[in-house]
Amino acid sequence: MIRLKFYSCILFISVFTFPVLSQTHKASSEADTVKHDSLDEVIVLGKSKVREIGESAYNVVSIDTRLLHNTTLSLTQTLDRISGVKIRETGGVGSDSQISINGFSGRHIKVFMDGMPMEGFGSSFQLNNMPVSLAERIEVYKGVVPVEFGSDALGGAVNIVTKQTKNTYVDVSYSYGSFNTHKSNVSFGHTAKNGFTVQLNAYQNYSDNNYKVKTRLLEFSEDGLSALGFTQEKQWFKRFHDTYHNEAVIAKAGIVNKAWADRFLIGLTLSREKADIQNANVMQIAYGGRERKAKSLIPTLNYEKKNLIVQNLNFSLTANYNITRNNNLDTLARQYNWKGEYIPKGSKGEGEYSMSEFDSKNVYVTANMNYRIREKHYFALNNLYSNYTRKATDVAANSENSTAATFMRRTNGKNILGFSYKFEPGKRWNASAFFKYYEVNVRGPVSTTTTAVYEEQEKSFSTTGYGVLLTYFLSNSFQLKTSFERAYRLPSERELFGDEVLETGDASLKPENSQNINLNISYSNVWNSTHSAYIDVGLIYRDTRDYIRRRVEQNRGGAFYTNHGNVLNLGIDCEARYFYKNIFSAGGNFTYQNIRSMERYNANGALDVNYKGRMPNLPYIFGNLDASYNINNAFGKGNTLSFGYNLRYVHSFLRDWISEGASDDVIIPIQLSHDMNLTYTLKNGRYNVSFEVKNIADEMLFDNFSLQKPGRSFTVKLRYFFFNNNYK
Amino acid sequence: MSTKKSILKKTVLAGFIGCLSLAFISCEDNDNPAPKSAGAFFLSVNGETAEYIIQTDNLETGDLHISSNNKTLLQSGHTWIFNDNPSVAVGLIYQQGDPGIGLGFGVDAEGKLKELKNFLITSRYTSYGFFENYALTSVGGVTPVDGNGNAILDENGNERSDGVTFNFIDLNNNFALQGKTITTLNITGNGDQATLSGIVDMGNGEFLTGLVVSQPRDPNATGGASSGTITYPDSVWVAAFDANLSLKRIYRDDRISYSSGRYRSQYYSQMGKAADGSIYVFSGSYESTTTKPCGALKINKNATTFDQSYHFNIEEKTGGYRFRKVWHVSENYFMLELYNDDKNTPVTVNSAATQYGIVDVAAKTFRWITEIPAKDKITGTGLPMAYEGKMYFPIVEEDKYPAVYIIDPATASARKGISITGATSLNAIGRLTYQ
Repeated sequence: MIRLKFYSCILFISVFTFPVLSQTHKASSEADTVKHDSLDEVIVLGKSKVREIGESAYNVVSIDTRLLHNTTLSLTQTLDRISGVKIRETGGVGSDSQISINGFSGRHIKVFMDGMPMEGFGSSFQLNNMPVSLAERIEVYKGVVPVEFGSDALGGAVNIVTKQTKNTYVDVSYSYGSFNTHKSNVSFGHTAKNGFTVQLNAYQNYSDNNYKVKTRLLEFSEDGLSALGFTQEKQWFKRFHDTYHNEAVIAKAGIVNKAWADRFLIGLTLSREKADIQNANVMQIAYGGRERKAKSLIPTLNYEKKNLIVQNLNFSLTANYNITRNNNLDTLARQYNWKGEYIPKGSKGEGEYSMSEFDSKNVYVTANMNYRIREKHYFALNNLYSNYTRKATDVAANSENSTAATFMRRTNGKNILGFSYKFEPGKRWNASAFFKYYEVNVRGPVSTTTTAVYEEQEKSFSTTGYGVLLTYFLSNSFQLKTSFERAYRLPSERELFGDEVLETGDASLKPENSQNINLNISYSNVWNSTHSAYIDVGLIYRDTRDYIRRRVEQNRGGAFYTNHGNVLNLGIDCEARYFYKNIFSAGGNFTYQNIRSMERYNANGALDVNYKGRMPNLPYIFGNLDASYNINNAFGKGNTLSFGYNLRYVHSFLRDWISEGASDDVIIPIQLSHDMNLTYTLKNGRYNVSFEVKNIADEMLFDNFSLQKPGRSFTVKLRYFFFNNNYK
Repeated sequence: MSTKKSILKKTVLAGFIGCLSLAFISCEDNDNPAPKSAGAFFLSVNGETAEYIIQTDNLETGDLHISSNNKTLLQSGHTWIFNDNPSVAVGLIYQQGDPGIGLGFGVDAEGKLKELKNFLITSRYTSYGFFENYALTSVGGVTPVDGNGNAILDENGNERSDGVTFNFIDLNNNFALQGKTITTLNITGNGDQATLSGIVDMGNGEFLTGLVVSQPRDPNATGGASSGTITYPDSVWVAAFDANLSLKRIYRDDRISYSSGRYRSQYYSQMGKAADGSIYVFSGSYESTTTKPCGALKINKNATTFDQSYHFNIEEKTGGYRFRKVWHVSENYFMLELYNDDKNTPVTVNSAATQYGIVDVAAKTFRWITEIPAKDKITGTGLPMAYEGKMYFPIVEEDKYPAVYIIDPATASARKGISITGATSLNAIGRLTYQ
């Protein structure tokens, strides 16, 4: 019992609960037998899954996010604290954010929610606006991605695991903070005795994002007719057109524990967002009226059955239909500056006049089957089918680039079949191998003559990827892991087809590909039931080739896509953590990645001066430190007062190539920021009050060149959490 | 005002001293008599991602490494234009629906590159040039608004798209930029609207611009350009505007098609002023429906009509090849950029054009430029510079770094000048002098 408390508190204290604490396994098995009606148990019961993932041979970090539910972090900000992972945000609440894992980003990594790709969910339902409380667990696969995630990700995947308990719970929270930021979240789950289950999750974000930024001012003449250019000196301005709001509801209902289904759920997710656009991609260009809007409607279906027909044959199927609509509005005939002043323009649009509307529809169906023989042989088969349709619906769309073909249908059907086999002769080691077969089928307009006449054409593309994994327990404290994958990213419909008029597609494109190797060693131990510690060191190797890039050659007329580029990343990720009883913990992580271009020739065929040069515009040294201190039974039994501290560091990096003589004018400076929080928890977690300060020193922070992030902010959060174990 | 004047005087004096001392030094170094005033060549080059400015005194020979650049630019993809008086380089930029940060460069008394001002380019541009003390850009197909900022509607209640927006960038007033929008509906009296192409300063308070006269752009179709269907492909119109954008007159003729080189959404100028001040109006006969061969007409200095006695049928001299761009070199020489396929292959907004020739508009001769890379090896070119009677033309050849080719218009032969090691493109060359 004491043990149980100790370990559950470790989890509670630590900002992150990393999977390598082998001792916690014992705690969780104990917990399974102990009937204990408190929050502690909820956390500990879930631990075994986190632990199980950690013991796998994948280079994976699994985080129990329930420990962060008293914070106001978004899911992306949570990810930012993981070694090897860097989030780059362009501004405040709701701003664009890019996830990078060991140097890969964008299309090269994939994000899943409960195993379903999130790319079709639309911008109103993405990690950067989701509260951390939506997730029960986050898994980050670095380099090698299991077949269960059918994806053509080159360099990793993130999986958000939502709450799936059969217990009854109510979780309600509200926070208010600087820049008039309001966030709230309600989640509710109940399973009746007859197996009927319902889950509801709703959240809302609102912020004025009116933080201060330092930039150059565009001055206007006194007669209000001319723009006089930018001042040389930078000045401070309050953002005046950056309001963001976003709302989402996720509802699921169905049955559990029936003869024909362990779980059968039908769901609907509704989400929308509206964002003012304050500035261009260079911050000194200000806007006063541009907006973007998005909404999405996502019906879902979920089916799971264990021991289907025969013992140990498990089957699951998930399907989503995503309907999204995006609007970009730029209609004002004005030119703004950072003071919020404007001069009139003679034509519509601060940038390019636009009322564009794009609709897209996606279908994702993923089926997974696994079978175990005599505890030693484990087979898994996974298939993901996706189909993507995009169509511009408004003719005022992109006036510069629109063509007849812009309004024609484009579809992108993709099927990814994965098979894996794992051999586990005992507890000491296990090994597995997997294959992935990727196939893409695209349909879209192709110009059949030189005079812009289009007809719909179809093209197909396929390739095979594979990998192997091995893990070995040297002792109770030491674990070794290694994994290898040959991964591919298939060309998109745009890359295969071009945009018909200004770009020509190329069906002979090769998929982008990468060879990923991971080697991890971890150590963990406990001394006298008072001190415990763990260390994990991971070495990574990523050899990525055949980037698909757009190119214009004058002797070919328009633009086209071609394979070019070879990038090598040799990196190291380290994590370490120490616990003293359930009172104190401290930890941190550090990443260094040496990402170099290994392409000898530039795209034109001449020797590349950047050969062996460091890839620009990528953070390559970064890390986090955190510490927390708990006062247990503070002002009453079952109450806890916690102090937390977090430090984020990103070394400065150049936006452009140093070998070309890029100057320090275009640099992303060192970012060092400190966050603190204070949480008071009453009645074993039923009532919670938190106070947070982010960016205490009010540093100017940048993830991207010139795009300044918020300064110091304060937030108060109130949360009520009720939990009832239905299976006592 | 007097303070300004005295500062100006001081600067001039300082510059004068600077020049003197420079002259003194160069006299010591070699026997060059009468050195030119402080100046430098200004090159815009691209690396893998960024655009850089390089300053050099020599274009004739050798290699220059991209890392010897003087400046990394904030944004990449400027269109550079160069003015003589005042001597400035103006970098225009406008990308993906966002205004861009325009740049102004000059040189100081030591002949060193000097950034003069950053300004905001508030409207897209598809044509550009200089007029009086302005760098001037224009774009057609915009939706004009009334005094309240509401779109002006046509008789059917739809938003009009016949607006042309100009940016007037005042070179004498610290690059202050004023946008002005005019409407072009029925500008030529036939009910059509126009997109403007090219800006040529007539020197009398007016500028000329080519009109691409068309029906309104079909909002459901077309590729990137602001023009709709061309109703009269066998006519050419050139408009004269004053500084207030008042239409002074329209020159019209039926001997050639409209005067504009089309590439993607751009409308390249096909007009130029010869050494004697007469303005030559070329037509590359882009439109597939035109029956007119590509050629040129002339507007004599201060004339109000085309010179009816002058017509140059260029197409019969090129063997059926039509052209996209025209630049004045010196005297009566113009350089043409010609399509790689002859007129029997229909031209589109992204047809390849990597052949070059020289015309003498007075003698009505045409010669292909020799000693430059073959047309199928030219992957890119940049803005050429006419300097001391020669054309300095940046060319990127397959498997090579960008290089400057120096073309003698009299012989139409070229020789290779400097090349920029490590660059992927050489976007523009200009000469800046201290004044």
